[in-house]
Amino acid sequence: MSQQTSYPEGSALKGQITSRQRRGSAWQLAFQVSTIIGIIALIALLYNITNQAFGLVAIQNKVEPSSLVLALEEERLLSAENTVTSEDDNELVAGIASDANAIGFFGYAYYQQNSDQLKLLTVDGIAPTAESVQNETYGLVRPLYLYTTADVLAQNQAANIFLNYYLTHINEEIEDVGYFATSDAQLSEARAAWTAASGLNLQPGQWAAINPEGITGQLSVVGSSTLFPVNERIAERLAADGFAATVNLANVGSTAGLRAFCEEGTADIAAASRPITSAEFEACRENDLRPIEIQIGTDALAIVTSPENSFTTNVTQQELRTLFDTATTWADANEAWPNNPVARYIPGADSGTLDFFAETVFPKDLANLSKETLVELLTANISVGLGRRLEREQRFYDDRLVFDDPDLFAEACASDNPAAGCTMPARDQENVYELLLQEVVAPDVVSAWSLMDSLFARDEVEAFVATEYPNAELTFRSWLTLDFITSPQSSTPEFAGVRTAIMGSLWVVAITVFFSFPIGVGAAIYLEEYASDTFINRTIQTNINNLAGVPSIIYGMLGLAIFVRTLEPLTSGALFGVGDGTTANGRTILSAGLTLGLLILPVIIIAAQEAIRAVPHSLRQAGMALGATKWQTIWAHVLPSALPGILTGTILAISRAIGETAPLVVVGASTLIFVDPNSPFSKFTTLPIQIYQWTARPQAEFRNIAAAAILVLLVLLLSLNASAILLRNRYARRA
Amino acid sequence: MTSTVTGFANGNLAVEARNMHVYYGPFRAVKDVSLKIKTHAITAFIGPSGCGKSTVLRSFNRMNDLVATARVEGEILYHGNNIYSNDVDPVEIRRRIGMVFQKPNPFPKTIYENVAWGARINSYKGDMDELVESSLRQAALWNEVKDKLQESGYSLSGGQQQRLCIARTIAVKPDIILMDEPTSALDPVATLRIEELIQELKKNYTIIIVTHNMQQAARASDFTAFYNMDEDRAGYLVEYSGTNELFTNPKNELTEQYITGRFG
Amino acid sequence: MATRSPAQAMIGAQVSREELAKRPRVGETLIQGFLFICGAISILTTVGILYELGKEALLFFRSPDVTLVEFFTSTHWQPAILDFGIWPLVLGTIFTSVIAMLVALPLGLATAIYLSEYASERARNILKPILEVLAGIPTVVYGYFALTFMTPLLRNLLGADNVQIFNTASAGIVVGILIIPLVSSLSEDALHAVPIGLRQAAYALGATKLETSLKIVLPGALSGITAAFVFAISRAIGETMVVAIAAGNGPKNFDFGQDPLFGTILNPFVAAETMTAHIVRISGGDLSYDSIDYNSIFAIGLTLFLMTLGLNILSQRFVARFREVYE
Repeated sequence: MSQQTSYPEGSALKGQITSRQRRGSAWQLAFQVSTIIGIIALIALLYNITNQAFGLVAIQNKVEPSSLVLALEEERLLSAENTVTSEDDNELVAGIASDANAIGFFGYAYYQQNSDQLKLLTVDGIAPTAESVQNETYGLVRPLYLYTTADVLAQNQAANIFLNYYLTHINEEIEDVGYFATSDAQLSEARAAWTAASGLNLQPGQWAAINPEGITGQLSVVGSSTLFPVNERIAERLAADGFAATVNLANVGSTAGLRAFCEEGTADIAAASRPITSAEFEACRENDLRPIEIQIGTDALAIVTSPENSFTTNVTQQELRTLFDTATTWADANEAWPNNPVARYIPGADSGTLDFFAETVFPKDLANLSKETLVELLTANISVGLGRRLEREQRFYDDRLVFDDPDLFAEACASDNPAAGCTMPARDQENVYELLLQEVVAPDVVSAWSLMDSLFARDEVEAFVATEYPNAELTFRSWLTLDFITSPQSSTPEFAGVRTAIMGSLWVVAITVFFSFPIGVGAAIYLEEYASDTFINRTIQTNINNLAGVPSIIYGMLGLAIFVRTLEPLTSGALFGVGDGTTANGRTILSAGLTLGLLILPVIIIAAQEAIRAVPHSLRQAGMALGATKWQTIWAHVLPSALPGILTGTILAISRAIGETAPLVVVGASTLIFVDPNSPFSKFTTLPIQIYQWTARPQAEFRNIAAAAILVLLVLLLSLNASAILLRNRYARRA
Repeated sequence: MTSTVTGFANGNLAVEARNMHVYYGPFRAVKDVSLKIKTHAITAFIGPSGCGKSTVLRSFNRMNDLVATARVEGEILYHGNNIYSNDVDPVEIRRRIGMVFQKPNPFPKTIYENVAWGARINSYKGDMDELVESSLRQAALWNEVKDKLQESGYSLSGGQQQRLCIARTIAVKPDIILMDEPTSALDPVATLRIEELIQELKKNYTIIIVTHNMQQAARASDFTAFYNMDEDRAGYLVEYSGTNELFTNPKNELTEQYITGRFG
Repeated sequence: MATRSPAQAMIGAQVSREELAKRPRVGETLIQGFLFICGAISILTTVGILYELGKEALLFFRSPDVTLVEFFTSTHWQPAILDFGIWPLVLGTIFTSVIAMLVALPLGLATAIYLSEYASERARNILKPILEVLAGIPTVVYGYFALTFMTPLLRNLLGADNVQIFNTASAGIVVGILIIPLVSSLSEDALHAVPIGLRQAAYALGATKLETSLKIVLPGALSGITAAFVFAISRAIGETMVVAIAAGNGPKNFDFGQDPLFGTILNPFVAAETMTAHIVRISGGDLSYDSIDYNSIFAIGLTLFLMTLGLNILSQRFVARFREVYE
């Protein structure tokens, strides 16, 4: 009776049960969500690393490789024998005209003026014409540019009007001067750039409407000798139209003109017969100038001989290269030609024409240059001090020194601690090329983006680069490359690799295993097979369980105090006389390995104990019953049966050791080492240490390479764990 | 204790227990067992579970040493030497007194290695192949395994595994073979083969066999010892005599009740 | 009665005393000795830790610039001006650990309950390896994660002005994530050990799954779960790389009464340094032996060691009690 009244019944019962079950479902959902959060964390972690390890980068070279080659080639052009160099074109014309074996080159305009005295050669069978120049089938062409800035146009009305006038009338003049007019497309591009910068609200077609009459003020146009006659004509026409401002035209060459424009601030407009280089652009930016580039025409080079030359009307680019560089006779370039000495006539070093010729005719790829050439480039571009250091690391030639003084070098080699360069074979071409890239070209990642930004916000990235780093090249970069894995450590993220760190990790782990595996298994055998239930054995067991819970950093401090400091003679190798002279302390691979050995010892012991405990007792009895001693039974039967379990545990312990960071920081991993470890007494760094140090750097690119290094580490750990799982499965099948 | 097995010559005495007690820690598992085992005969130990028959068997080759808390009082004389005396080497004892276990326990090695291992650790100098073959022949296993000596011992059937264990024991040339319920994990056909094998082996070895199967004892043994458990759960020897006599004319009432199936 | 002629007895059946005599097995003894030494090395490790930490800590406290009272009461750790109060570092450690526990304990326990009580065999087979992977990732990677993911996330959610680049919240949350697998696997073991009969009894009384899980199984596994929790706390306190990377590069010194309690002292979104991170930072720099800096990190190390040892022993007590109940 009382029961019936005390419990809910009917709809009340139903309600009670429903509400209990509803509560149950709610909680179940909560449990599921909690579980999923862990998975989400893992996904976020992997996503984050991938996101950082791949993505767009903007790369900018300190020095363009092409300009390096250019300088070198010009040097060779000028120093080739039987070469007449002159800044005075008339002298060159006269020289070529009078010598049947002469060859030379001029701007096309200049050739036109003197076409009666010279013979024009076709290049690769094509003669320079308006058409062949515009569609660039004729190989030897260069664009002609004016450079100015928006500020100049906004502040200097005279310059503004001048440029407007220039663009309006250029095509009426340029062909007359001897250059080729820009295509409509290029010209309208130039006009757009000008309009955008001018501050004038102009529509196409309104160009001519601005009247230059009565405009006063002052402007200077500085630069290319090639463009000088064009500039002169425009200025004269303007003056005739009533332009009253003072126009200073200076004929100083493209390079000097851009210098005046970017660095000295003495030019409102720079005229150049080549594009601005990245170095010049950077110089401009440093002075808060953002150059606007306007192409106003195209120049072509004319390859000319004397009219008396009867044996050829055409040269190929390859023949040109030989003729102006190594050939002593015409026959050297082409066997069909006579065996007469070549007489070369080339413009002086300050002229843009020489640049133009060298740039278009000679290859610009650094990688294909000979080792000697590369060494020359290196010599011309790095300090002697750096060169000497590089030479002591590894010589450039076995038989001579490039940077170092022979006596000093010999002295350095005779010392107790000779430099590596004393014994190592000389660098090869590839090595010198890499060196040149690193030390001189020095490509610098100026900005990097995450994978997600690279994929989904590419337009914004491109716009950003176009305004901020117009000379930079935007490429997709995987920070994880084969080079990254095989390159040694470096202080520049672009060249840094993890080889040193991987080698360090492997060395350290080898020592760790060498130390902790036998001891760990030994301890486990003792505890499982020999130890009786005494106080000391119980203490050992409890102690091992406790050690497994000690924070890893404490092991680091133990390692610092014992291995690095107290046992320094042993761990530095001094005791064996094999210490690394540069460290002379105990912060070595050996110390690191032993420290990690102590750290994973309890892990190995506990795993091995479990594996040994799982070996069936009957096996031990069978062995003993045959008259085997205890050790014989353990060695022949218990250990082989327990081995898969022991190995599985050991591999897991190893992967723990490989991932450990804190104890190694405390033991004293080196911050920056470039040399692979070669003995237990070497200084060390490891993969996690490298990741830690890179993560701690503020620059974004270090985050990128840290992510790449993490991927390497995770792959390493994953394969270790996979092998542990395989082992476990094989074991499970057999048992 | 009623023992009628006293009358054989000293030369035929394989091993003798005198007033033996076995303890596990404070617990006495076996009390006051005295018996003599005759050479080249099969002696069976029977009795209900927990009666200590296996414990007595394991005492004969000091296998009880493997249990940390086990302790044996009294004497076991092997050729006049007390095997529990301090200067006796248990390893040496086990080499001379081999053992076959309840469940077949071959090593996780090849068939060949299973047989050869014991010989090897005991520094056998002769031709190993020959020894393996003769041991396997004696264990009536040769014909079945001669073509797969390099296969794992686990690849054999249960009965074959047990014969492999016997071959392994024979290979070290023991005096005495202790068998602890060797057929309890096997099917009837395999059991019969083992029993036949044991009969063969008796020509060369002294055999003590523990069995919970009375028919087996009656069929296969020359002598039978019957053990029982008293009130404080200690095992003791009830009756020991020729097998025929024990089964046809038991002296003790308990024995009679046991063999007629009234308890156990 | 079977009798046999002596001729049938085995040749050499007579065995002399000498043949049975104990042989000196030097190898066996040596091996056993070696194995014992292997076991004893672990004792030496503990002794080494205590000795070295103790020795250097003693040198530290003997220094005229340090007093025990200052060490345990001062709220400033500024070695440059010889201020050595452990509190800023301990507070950093407590902060990250508490935040980590707020993340790891509920999530870890809920995961354990789900895996043990709710999940199908298939779900378990998928989920457990994932958790194992989570547990196998090196802590330095979690540090990277904290700095490059969690911190920007917090700054986006709460405003960059409110969250410093280095802060205890981000480090603490990530430490929590890294401890989830530890909590869940130990707790799951404990839940698993509760006999199935208890669950059946509860169901037979009309309990729902939730009621069985929370009111019968969970209390049954309580000491095992407590052991897991305590061990997790110890792990969080000893965790180093995440806090070294993401929590901050200097102790958060403070003055009661002057610094606002919630604005600064108890604010998890500002930088602070934990004991472990401080040890890493100091020892990663140029450290000369016998300097006060060198000795000071050992004093911190000893504090850390004793804290974690205490927690570990406590945890093992709980485990032992749990075993008594069910094994």
